[in-house]
Amino acid sequence: MPVEYELDIPQSLDEALNALASDNGSSVTPLAGGTNLIIDIRSRRERPARVVGLDYVSELRAIDCTSERVTIGSRTTVTDLLDSAEIAKAAPSLVDAARVFAGHMVRNAATVGGNIACGSPAADLVPPLMSLDAEVTLSSKSGSRTVALADYFTGYKQDVRNADELITQVAWDRLPEHSVNTFRKLGRRKGDAITVTGVALTVVVEDGVCQRARIALGSVGPTVFRARQAEALLEGKVLSNELFDAAARKAASESSPIDDVRASAEYRLHTIETLTRRLLTQAWARLA
Amino acid sequence: MSQQNISADAQPNVKYNQVGKSLTRTDAPGKAAGRTPYAGDYVMPGMLHMRVVRADIASAKLTRLDVTKARALPGVVCILTADDVAGREAATDIPGQTGQKRMDTDQQILVHERVKYYGEPIALIAAESRDVANAALELVEFDLEPIPGVYDPEEAMKPGSPIVQGIDNIVAEHKIRKGDPEKALAEADLVIENTFHTPFQEHAFLEPEVGLAWTDENEVVNIRVSTQVIEHFRAIADAIGVPHNKVRIRGALVGGGFGGKEDVTVEIYLALMAKATGRPVRLEYTREDSFVGHGKRHPFKLTYKTGVTRDGRITGMDVYILADSGAYVFLSPYVLLYGAVAAPGPYKVENLNVYAQAVATNNMFTSAFRGFGGMQACAAYEQQMDEVAKALDMDPIEFRRRNYLKTGEAISTGFVPPSAIWTEECVDKAWAALGEPTVSSDHIKIGQGIAAYQQSYGRLTFLHDTSECWVGVEMDGTVIVRSGVTDIGAGQISALGQIAVEVLGVTLENVVIYNSDSAVTPLAGTTTATRALYMTGNAAKMAAEAVRERLSERAAREFDVQVDQIHMAFNVVSVIDNPDKSMAFVDLVKICASEGIHRSELSMFRAPFSDYLNPETGQGQAHPDYVYGAQAIEVAVDTDTGEVEVLKSIAAHDIGQCINKAAVEGQIEGGTQNGQGYALSEEMLYEEGKLVTPSFSEYLMPTSMDMPKVQTILLESRSGLGPFGSKGIGEPALTPVAPAIANAVANAIGVRIFELPITPERIIKALKEKQAAN
Repeated sequence: MPVEYELDIPQSLDEALNALASDNGSSVTPLAGGTNLIIDIRSRRERPARVVGLDYVSELRAIDCTSERVTIGSRTTVTDLLDSAEIAKAAPSLVDAARVFAGHMVRNAATVGGNIACGSPAADLVPPLMSLDAEVTLSSKSGSRTVALADYFTGYKQDVRNADELITQVAWDRLPEHSVNTFRKLGRRKGDAITVTGVALTVVVEDGVCQRARIALGSVGPTVFRARQAEALLEGKVLSNELFDAAARKAASESSPIDDVRASAEYRLHTIETLTRRLLTQAWARLA
Repeated sequence: MSQQNISADAQPNVKYNQVGKSLTRTDAPGKAAGRTPYAGDYVMPGMLHMRVVRADIASAKLTRLDVTKARALPGVVCILTADDVAGREAATDIPGQTGQKRMDTDQQILVHERVKYYGEPIALIAAESRDVANAALELVEFDLEPIPGVYDPEEAMKPGSPIVQGIDNIVAEHKIRKGDPEKALAEADLVIENTFHTPFQEHAFLEPEVGLAWTDENEVVNIRVSTQVIEHFRAIADAIGVPHNKVRIRGALVGGGFGGKEDVTVEIYLALMAKATGRPVRLEYTREDSFVGHGKRHPFKLTYKTGVTRDGRITGMDVYILADSGAYVFLSPYVLLYGAVAAPGPYKVENLNVYAQAVATNNMFTSAFRGFGGMQACAAYEQQMDEVAKALDMDPIEFRRRNYLKTGEAISTGFVPPSAIWTEECVDKAWAALGEPTVSSDHIKIGQGIAAYQQSYGRLTFLHDTSECWVGVEMDGTVIVRSGVTDIGAGQISALGQIAVEVLGVTLENVVIYNSDSAVTPLAGTTTATRALYMTGNAAKMAAEAVRERLSERAAREFDVQVDQIHMAFNVVSVIDNPDKSMAFVDLVKICASEGIHRSELSMFRAPFSDYLNPETGQGQAHPDYVYGAQAIEVAVDTDTGEVEVLKSIAAHDIGQCINKAAVEGQIEGGTQNGQGYALSEEMLYEEGKLVTPSFSEYLMPTSMDMPKVQTILLESRSGLGPFGSKGIGEPALTPVAPAIANAVANAIGVRIFELPITPERIIKALKEKQAAN
């Protein structure tokens, strides 16, 4: 049964930031879709003294795509992503992830900001956003700052967000033409499953040479992270199957998965390698 | 029906007006519109809310229990502990009407001193509100001193192992012997030995256990509860110390049972609290309560030794079955018996030895679950059939064909099923429908598999099962059916209506059915064991026929013809071959009413009664009859990730005769989903008896995204013991699914995984081992 907490329901972003600032303590928690938080409160894994509900902070629910940049408000739901034709073009990996994100009801409630803020290594939107070089905007009463999503997490369920800050948006520069951006989630079933391993990939190729490689891995470490050594093997090279094998092995070696009820660490390492190789091979086939 | 009349090409029956059709079930409109109240929807003024305090260690001694703080919480009305139920126990033996009872099967109602499983109830709380009951749950203080437990049945049988039940933890043993199995195996051209493991399974009904109890003006404790078995009222009365006629169970339409509501769940707690407080009390399990609040499917370990000739004939078979009964006995001996009887499958095995044991551990207790031991056996024997075929380098269906049990031949116990055995027809039709395999690609391997089965319908015949039903015609020609039968979502009561209106020549819109009240509706027995249609359907048919006979006699007089010239259909009574002579059904009823002709009947149907099987040889009759059929499956296995996708799922069952075709198809589709989860994804993981997958985010049933379209092929031999030659489909729908999937996976990847569920992890491990071996 849940712990008792106070509930603030601000009507605007300013009110929300005020509500977060007024406590200067650590036990105030922003609530968006609540698809993780409410369950954690019910099972007492989370025990906030105060909860700031963001239901009415409508300015945070927005998708803005220009020719250069994509900006998504933190209160945007997973279903909103699926309903957006622009996101389908600008962020294929994010759509791949949104499609297999929990079940329909959860997708209607869960938000982009909440998925980042929950800090889970199994958060499905995070590998795609990381593969897109997304930046997170953190706002507080005293101002805003931007951090790369790749630098946002500092440990298992640990991040750089201060207690009075709210994730207000994520944004990234659009990918160039000759690029592939994909995500593959491995779960124990097709619907409504928690990720066993997740791989998001961005490959940008110019004149046959890999200009940019991003490999973001989910559920195989304390946080979602980029396999930077594997990326380095690819960047600046003419891509080949041998390179994909090496990068896939490297991605696995950069992972530090654990055993849990869903899968063993050994299985996770195996599938990180096979999925990374498969995504690279498929990307290369599409670019060729 | 005599076996000579069983035609191999029987088609869906056309001669019935109501039976066999996909009519809208009588329970459907209310459910679709949300009008149907389930047990949890009932409330009463002044009602209290209950919670159950549970042990959080599986094997322990309760050294301190202090409810002072909880009792002091404003709004807490009553807390019951073992001290309040001193000297009373709850019977866990087979439920129902037989009066038979085994020794040592009773369970403490609340923990007195020894905790034997994780979640065992320690105290009951009743409070003015749910919130207060929840708060009080936190205030009950208790200390548990861990006691070394045992969590593996093989360990539990070793000398010196902690004792959970009896003197050696062995709670049941069964033997089946015929012919000379040792000689047959010694002389076989080939003996194939394999061991298969099957897992725990959770029933996962949509509606968790729930009930409302109150004491009425006659001091009768009434319990409105979600249950498969209203006849637990007797055991409940015994447990709370009142005469049997002072407990009344009023069922409701049930949101899923699958065997998980076959044992008593919340009833005794409700009855105790209603009696203690004198107020209405309501108890609804949370999903977490439900996961630890009812028995699971028995995990089985099954070792098969099959002797064959080079040309693929089974000469002998030796089977050892070990079942984990968990901390209490419950229905383990019977589940084990089903497994033993089913062990050779739908095959002719003249030389057979089966030895089966059920052993107590400190795991969650195990009891009834759809398939009831018979399906665990099928999971093993059908995989073994494929392995033997492989060793013989023979097509698996051809190998089966050389060994099928045929109509008129004896099963393992020497008993000859009275109905058709259409295994071959079902296998061939299912396999043909599967068609050519989808083409494999790089890392996606395609595999196809088949599994046949034999599954009983009706309870064990030595339990002397009976069922009652009342059918009456009102003066306006409408029909009332009364029977205690519970409807657990499969259309049990609607089928009774369909049978009654078929016999009476009216239509299903004209019937209202009253069911599942232990004091008012005639007792029909349990809705378990694929028996509701067979037993109560026959009782309904008998009652309707008795009424029809009297009405027909009157009509014959009216038309001055012989009784057998009277035809009754679609609310019209007429003379066969003379359409000028006819009248509305309602007019005949009015005549009968005015002349005092009895327009109702209470009938009892009795299943065949038998003695217990020979304890040394297991020979004799175990069940009334058996259902036969097959499942064919095609899978795609991703050899990079171990993921399995079921591409095609074909079910072919000889159900004897459909009563409601859509309901039969619904049962089969649901059974296919149930079996697919068992085969591939559902896992109850325990650590020292503690469930570590206690929610639907960890216990993974197939979703709609995971299910293929299920194709059903219904064969109607009209040879069954049920009404109109029907058999049953509740359990059979599930039985062959898992081994068919396992066989398809083995066919796809060329290596067998001997333990269910076949998880991606186990597939990758098996593929790596295969690679290393090459």
